[in-house]
Amino acid sequence: MRLLRVAAPCPHRPEQSFPVPSESRGSRDGTRDQALLDRDKERALAEVVQRVFENYSRDPRSVEQALFDTLYEERRRLETEKDRSQARRQASLYHQDYREALHAPLGRQRELLKRIIRGFAEEVAGHFDPRIYALATRVIPPSLTVTLNAMSPLRLLGILPGGPGTLHDQVDIKGEIDAFRAVAKLGTAVLVATHSSHMDSILLGYMLYRIGLPPFTYGAGLNLFHNKMLGFFMHNLGAYKVDRRKKALVYKDVLKAYAGCTLELGYHNMFFPGGTRSRSGAVEKKLKMGLLGMGLDAYIHNLIAGKEKPDIFVVPCTINYQLVLEAETLIDDYLKEVGKSRYIIEDDEFSKPRRVLDFVSKLFSLNSRIHMVISRPLDVFGNTVDDEGRSLDRRGRVVDRRKYVFRNGRPLFDRQRDQEYTRELALSITEAFHRDTLINSTHLISHAVMNWLHDHNPELDLYRMLRTGGARESLPLPEAYERLERSRQTLGRLEQQGRLRLDDTVMRKDPVAVVSEALAHLRSYHRTPAVTRSGDRLLHRDRNLLFYYQNRLDGFGLPMVEKPQ
Amino acid sequence: MSARAELDVLVVGGGTFGTALASLLAEMGRRVRLWTRRPEQAEEINREHTNRRYFPSHTLPPGLEATSDLAAAVRGAPIVFLAVPSRSFRSVARTLGDSLEGDQCVCHTTKGFEIETFKRMSTILREETCTLKTGVFSGPNLAVELMNGYPAGASVASHYQEVTAVVQDLFRGGRMRVYGGRDVAGTEIAGAFKNILALAAGVSDGMGFGDNSKALVLTRGLSEMARIGVSLGADVFTFCGLAGIGDLMATCASPLSRNHQVGVRLAKGEKLSEILTSMTQVAEGVPTTEAVQRYAVAHGLDLPIVRAMHGVLFESWQVEDAVRNLMSIPVGDELSALRYR
Repeated sequence: MRLLRVAAPCPHRPEQSFPVPSESRGSRDGTRDQALLDRDKERALAEVVQRVFENYSRDPRSVEQALFDTLYEERRRLETEKDRSQARRQASLYHQDYREALHAPLGRQRELLKRIIRGFAEEVAGHFDPRIYALATRVIPPSLTVTLNAMSPLRLLGILPGGPGTLHDQVDIKGEIDAFRAVAKLGTAVLVATHSSHMDSILLGYMLYRIGLPPFTYGAGLNLFHNKMLGFFMHNLGAYKVDRRKKALVYKDVLKAYAGCTLELGYHNMFFPGGTRSRSGAVEKKLKMGLLGMGLDAYIHNLIAGKEKPDIFVVPCTINYQLVLEAETLIDDYLKEVGKSRYIIEDDEFSKPRRVLDFVSKLFSLNSRIHMVISRPLDVFGNTVDDEGRSLDRRGRVVDRRKYVFRNGRPLFDRQRDQEYTRELALSITEAFHRDTLINSTHLISHAVMNWLHDHNPELDLYRMLRTGGARESLPLPEAYERLERSRQTLGRLEQQGRLRLDDTVMRKDPVAVVSEALAHLRSYHRTPAVTRSGDRLLHRDRNLLFYYQNRLDGFGLPMVEKPQ
Repeated sequence: MSARAELDVLVVGGGTFGTALASLLAEMGRRVRLWTRRPEQAEEINREHTNRRYFPSHTLPPGLEATSDLAAAVRGAPIVFLAVPSRSFRSVARTLGDSLEGDQCVCHTTKGFEIETFKRMSTILREETCTLKTGVFSGPNLAVELMNGYPAGASVASHYQEVTAVVQDLFRGGRMRVYGGRDVAGTEIAGAFKNILALAAGVSDGMGFGDNSKALVLTRGLSEMARIGVSLGADVFTFCGLAGIGDLMATCASPLSRNHQVGVRLAKGEKLSEILTSMTQVAEGVPTTEAVQRYAVAHGLDLPIVRAMHGVLFESWQVEDAVRNLMSIPVGDELSALRYR
């Protein structure tokens, strides 16, 4: 049940940085923690408002600009909000602010801006209700059990009564587990994971529980709070809310500052640096720099405050599925013409309990495993970190990482420098993501069929090829075996160099077994199977899905069928 | 600068360029330390203020301090200039990496690629040291002219504004105008590639052709430089700067350039092996031609001058045939390869 505690202080003694008298901290169990959490939250809130406001208040024009930009963005957002009555109420408040701000002196404009920032910050931090927390972590009232039994993915993942054993077998956790535990004791950890599915956050929570770490603070999209199944639990649990429809810069600053402040208070954080679920199915190559940079920001703040444990460690983690719950929706979105893709999808498979149920039960009946690979921890500059928490350069020599932010013998901020440091970190994270990506049979077969399609339909562009499938509707099995074997050879060499991971079946079984495992998966869950067998031929059926699953192999030097730029 | 009381800059490499750079800075009153591999050389510089092997007729500024102890030399240097040939770059960088710390800046001046891997020098610095704040210094800087005290200019490129600022500060008020930039890849590629063109310009001179011919080979060569640069992620405008056209004009026109000399002698019919054994210094253009040609083939880039230079250097092409070949390639739109990227 601990899984559902989305946030709690980490086991080492978080240090005080904000000017509030320190109190003794409770154990990580029980409600005592939550009292602390509430208090920390109050401090974090005050600090967030202060920092974001300061950022704008240095010059009068930026106060004015931030105020009017925010009001403009917010009113525009509210025009398309679904909940009309609430939106109208909010819009009229903003309208009043706007009218007043037009003629207000600077002092009043500053107050208005501060109030808006405070509003954002409170919304992000959410309202904490200990009663619901207790309920979620301990007892499920009978009435709820009924509903949840029928449709909760949490139950299917074994959290509710009825099968944690299965889950244990089904989710394989490997990699640098001990190093992860070690750095979470030595400093504050930031868990960054690849993102393919809304199942990811649940799995990450489960992973932390299994390896004995407390839940991590986590920014969840508003749509997850609105999700029937998860929303109940996400509310009031310390997960902070991210409303991706809010475009105002001030709002984004609030989010970043909130993450930074919780890190400084010693709360482990977790987020998806790709910013959203991978639409193409490929491993993330471009990361969101803003949030990622908060690790370094917190580190420098900690050094300046002279904390005993100033270190922030970044721990990459890959989540590898053989089948992805939302594959159809995601690839569909990716294939939409550039600029038309939706950043927020609210009506995907995850919002349909039956699809989730179907997905999980199929996965379990196929003996399919989800592999979570924890990479070697990094410092905020992208250097690897050993089990004692020391940074190492690429030749394995120990580096005094504090020096990176020192000038004239003292730690200081340098916005341009720090952005570049964060770029280095992002590079190390994407390298780790690729190294610890686990390739399995569904990726290989999809890659083989996609490339066969491409070779046999040179006159078709990608979109027409996916739509029509070209002149031939099937390929001979031996050809599929041969193509699969060829890319397996290439990948095998990369695996030897430690540049990626291969699933056991892919490593050890012959092509016949690999293909038959892949076929069993691909026909089990998706509405239309990506590919099916008919006699000694393979029929390509849902080519979008084939494209989606082959994309996982992008970035490893294999010939790829690509979306035109 | 952090170690104001002790040291302003360390120059690693007592060859022509390292010595010239260190002298220039020392003359401006900067506290400069010069590292040389050979202790005798350091001794000579400290005692006699000369570096006769490279500059037989020049005296070095008395304030210039030389050492052969790299670990000690690195300590307290806010910025390190790395001026060693590309083939020893990795090993020197690795030794440097034993003592460097994260608050120090490193700026290299090496114009070449690592032949086996086609890696740029900044990539090697990243692999061999813990330093993140790195940059590249490049431009039309013939060492002898710098020693003579003539006005000159260069560009420094780094992803870190701190590095460009520190380097610009060092040269402020002197005879070297240093412009800043962010395009590290472009600046490095320009510096390396121009050595190939210096060979080609030398060939043109050695054949007794006139200025028209040399202008043709250099301008079309610049286009090839930009093409490979763009394919490696550089900004095309970098090649119009001091590191591009600037360096090209100096090196390719000047008989002082080693690469130019190699080209002239090739055109006169000497064998490459003979030329190289007779030279005391490295002609970077030769290995660079090999590395670039390999890259161009692997990536399907059309670089005819590189191709011809490679033929003459390594495939026993006759110079006349190479020239005839180049002149018979069909001509198209002059800038299409760059304009319609």
